[in-house]
Amino acid sequence: MKRIAVWDLPIRLFHWLTVLLIPALWWTAETHRLDLHLLLGEIMLGLLLFRILWGLIGSSTARFAGFVRGPRAILAYLRGQKPTGVGHNPLGALSVLLLLFLIANVVGVGLFASDEDGLAPGPLSHLISYDASRILAERHEQLFWMLVALIVVHVAAILFYLVARRDNLVGPMVTGGRAGEEGEPAMAAAPAWRFVLAAALSAGLTWATFAIL
Amino acid sequence: MKRLAVVAVAACCIAAAAAAQPMVQRIGDRQARYKQMGAAVKAINEQLHASNPSLPVIRRNSALVARFAPQVLGWFPRGSGPETGARTRARPEIWTDAEGFHAAGVRLVVAARGFDAAARGTDVAAIRAAMRGVAGACSGCHDDFRAPER
Repeated sequence: MKRIAVWDLPIRLFHWLTVLLIPALWWTAETHRLDLHLLLGEIMLGLLLFRILWGLIGSSTARFAGFVRGPRAILAYLRGQKPTGVGHNPLGALSVLLLLFLIANVVGVGLFASDEDGLAPGPLSHLISYDASRILAERHEQLFWMLVALIVVHVAAILFYLVARRDNLVGPMVTGGRAGEEGEPAMAAAPAWRFVLAAALSAGLTWATFAIL
Repeated sequence: MKRLAVVAVAACCIAAAAAAQPMVQRIGDRQARYKQMGAAVKAINEQLHASNPSLPVIRRNSALVARFAPQVLGWFPRGSGPETGARTRARPEIWTDAEGFHAAGVRLVVAARGFDAAARGTDVAAIRAAMRGVAGACSGCHDDFRAPER
């Protein structure tokens, strides 16, 4: 037995910052601290853009091309076929895609939304009318609760793996590695310059969305 | 005698319903005007968040807020609360704490005037500061006198 790498630091940071941000975003909306909500939303947008870029140029387990599988692979996995290599299993990959897709929808709609008093309009709300931005504020909330439902499924799945399969998925997401067999292929890390590129691009795009557009 | 009582009760009911009707109308009117103010404040804040704010857009909208602000207290005649049965988030405190509500209304008028004056100038930092005063007046009153959504 030896330790093998599963998730790189950027993936783990994205994951745990999102875990912190989502309840904070909910709380700031619930208590009408909308300036703070917009600031946290800006950070969430930056993280999301980074995760998408990292899914294109990041480490092997971060890449969409590496983990997204078709329905046949998902069915085979459900029938008990063991997935090859480290990273998301075919079903988990679907869950990750859906979670990212929903976060993107909540954030994307939120950019155009406005509170009813017009005190904290989203950074792109000037492109649409007050009435339209109010409809999108409702969508923003509905999409958020859909995301919460998916997070419940996500956490339930992790508990299922822990209890029924004796497989701790949280540990690797914290430490980045797990025990592996001799010769088992591990994560292939991405060079640091790619991280700098993805971070700079996502920060630039986020800044442009909030300050220029 | 009995018939007279029935007629009197019926007349009262009709009168009450007729009196409630204008109140429901008043609620609808003020909600429409609040939406107009919300749209104006949204437009102002969008400009103030932009790197290069458009002063004409700010002025156009600040004029509407300054025009509506002194009317707000008049939008809440006694009897235009939730007791009408209409969908309204106006809290009973508007009438039970009439003094507090009046103070909140005056605070808005002062803030809106100050903002309109600042918006006539070209000092964006001063306009931003004045907008914080308007935002505080809006939120302060909403916190105390407007029920949460749903």
